[in-house]
Amino acid sequence: MSTREQTGTNARHPFPSVVARQILPARASRVVSRTGGYLILLLLTLASIFPLIWMILTSLKDRSETYSPNVIPSKPSLAAYQFLWSQMHVGQYLWNSVRVTSVTVGAVVILASLAGYAFARIDFPGKQTIFLLLLSTLMLPGAVLIIPLFLQLSDMHLIDSQLGLILAYIGGGLPFAMFLMRSFFTTVPGELVDAGRMDGASEFGIFLRIMLPLARPGIATITIFQFMDTWNEFIFAATFLHSPTQRTLQPALFALVGRYSTNWPVLTAALTVSIIPTVTVYLILQKQFVTGLTAGAIKG
Amino acid sequence: MRGQRALYGYLFILPTLAFFLAFVAYPFFRAITISMTEWAGYDQPRYVGLRNFINMAHDRIFWIALRNSLLFTVATTVLQTVIPLLVAVLLAQRWHWDQVVRTALFLPVIISMVVASLLWRMIYDPNFGVLNSALKAIGLSSLAHPWLADTHTVMPAIIIVSLWKSLGFYMVIFYAGLQAIPLDLYEVASLDGANGWQKLLHVTAPMLWPVTTVVMVINIIGGIKVFDVIYVMTTGGPNHASEVLGTYLYVTAFGATGGGSPSSGYAAAVGVVILVLSMIGTYAQLRLTGGRSDVY
Repeated sequence: MSTREQTGTNARHPFPSVVARQILPARASRVVSRTGGYLILLLLTLASIFPLIWMILTSLKDRSETYSPNVIPSKPSLAAYQFLWSQMHVGQYLWNSVRVTSVTVGAVVILASLAGYAFARIDFPGKQTIFLLLLSTLMLPGAVLIIPLFLQLSDMHLIDSQLGLILAYIGGGLPFAMFLMRSFFTTVPGELVDAGRMDGASEFGIFLRIMLPLARPGIATITIFQFMDTWNEFIFAATFLHSPTQRTLQPALFALVGRYSTNWPVLTAALTVSIIPTVTVYLILQKQFVTGLTAGAIKG
Repeated sequence: MRGQRALYGYLFILPTLAFFLAFVAYPFFRAITISMTEWAGYDQPRYVGLRNFINMAHDRIFWIALRNSLLFTVATTVLQTVIPLLVAVLLAQRWHWDQVVRTALFLPVIISMVVASLLWRMIYDPNFGVLNSALKAIGLSSLAHPWLADTHTVMPAIIIVSLWKSLGFYMVIFYAGLQAIPLDLYEVASLDGANGWQKLLHVTAPMLWPVTTVVMVINIIGGIKVFDVIYVMTTGGPNHASEVLGTYLYVTAFGATGGGSPSSGYAAAVGVVILVLSMIGTYAQLRLTGGRSDVY
């Protein structure tokens, strides 16, 4: 992350400094409490990232060194990564995850934008009822659906098929994404829609050329949210896909433990590879990421 | 014109509605139906009314799972509300490098639950895990422990992982809530002679209450449906000591740990219990936040 971005973020949050002076007790041995504060923050930071650093360091260890208590490898090597790539088809799993995730995210973004726009800006009979129906299951635990979805995909001959998994993901993701897009579209001034209609633009033209560009922050939010949700999803993927050629990354990682529970360099290398895409995107788009994920707060 | 516009409205929502009906609504009603059958998953389902639910009363493992689900929910809700709140208040003071701290705390939120769980499984490993190695290194080998294999420590160990993974998430929500408190309130309090702690108690705390309720409710609902972290770390073991409703449902339906034939009907009934408990959680949210689901 660049320094420029850092200062940018701070400039957008001018409050902390002011709040600081006002929340803290005025002179209560200020230096001591400052030092203590830094110490706590340092410990929290270390606690958050140490497991991840340990993971990367272990993945660079030689097999013989796996169980030595030294955290830092004495002879760092990429052997575990080479093994992963040549023997464990990690490339295949990565590709499967990329494919399932991009199709799901693409479909959810397009369909949720259309529906969100309709619910926000077009009047049609039954709108309110259908909207509430879609929202009624927002809190539905996925575990409730796993048995019937398994049966349904079996009926459709879509078990062990990425298409079946994608359909289940889209169905599960749409109501919430639609809900978010609707709230974004309601903030776009209605005059723009009326002006477009006066000019004789079609409803689809208004949606595509006027509304969609204005709803870009909303699209960014649901893209990130759906990307994380799909990339990290485990239970549906583990249940609906069986063959190694179909498997996505998360169930593949879980299966790997069964076979290589004692080969920690290979295990940690696999975990490291699996988080590279998400962590990279996070470090680049940090602000949007935090907004996108916490927008999911109400979904939980 | 109006009629044509309405037609577009239906056209735009049609795909979303179709996906919803096919992959959420229909499976949902099917889940309720299955919960009232006796069915191994491959034979003919047989309607048994509420028998599955009655049988739960005598099912020792069901009660363990229910108790653990509630324990997990209460513990994570308390820890994952209080600690992120304190960290957010601390971070909202002026610090150098505060952006670095926030980035670091959010990293565990980014990685998947599977990765976090597998990682901590290795950290907790009784023989080679860093936790026990560290304890031995600082002369506390008596505290070294098979954390996930001991029925007394397995739940706390898993709860720590949940806290590690979600601290940054809830902290960010509280942090945003703190930024949204109007500064005039602090000025008025200063004029009234309030000191720092009084401001924390009488301005910050009440202004953060709506955000706090949202955090608590996300925690409650997340706790009731917890699955990934436990399934990946222990599959509910040892000897069901970390069994929760989610893992019990899954293992009953798909027979993951072998032994016992899969019973889809009974598993679906466990799903209905999870559903009812999370509905109670949602209802609590509506009550606490006065129907506003958009507080954050």
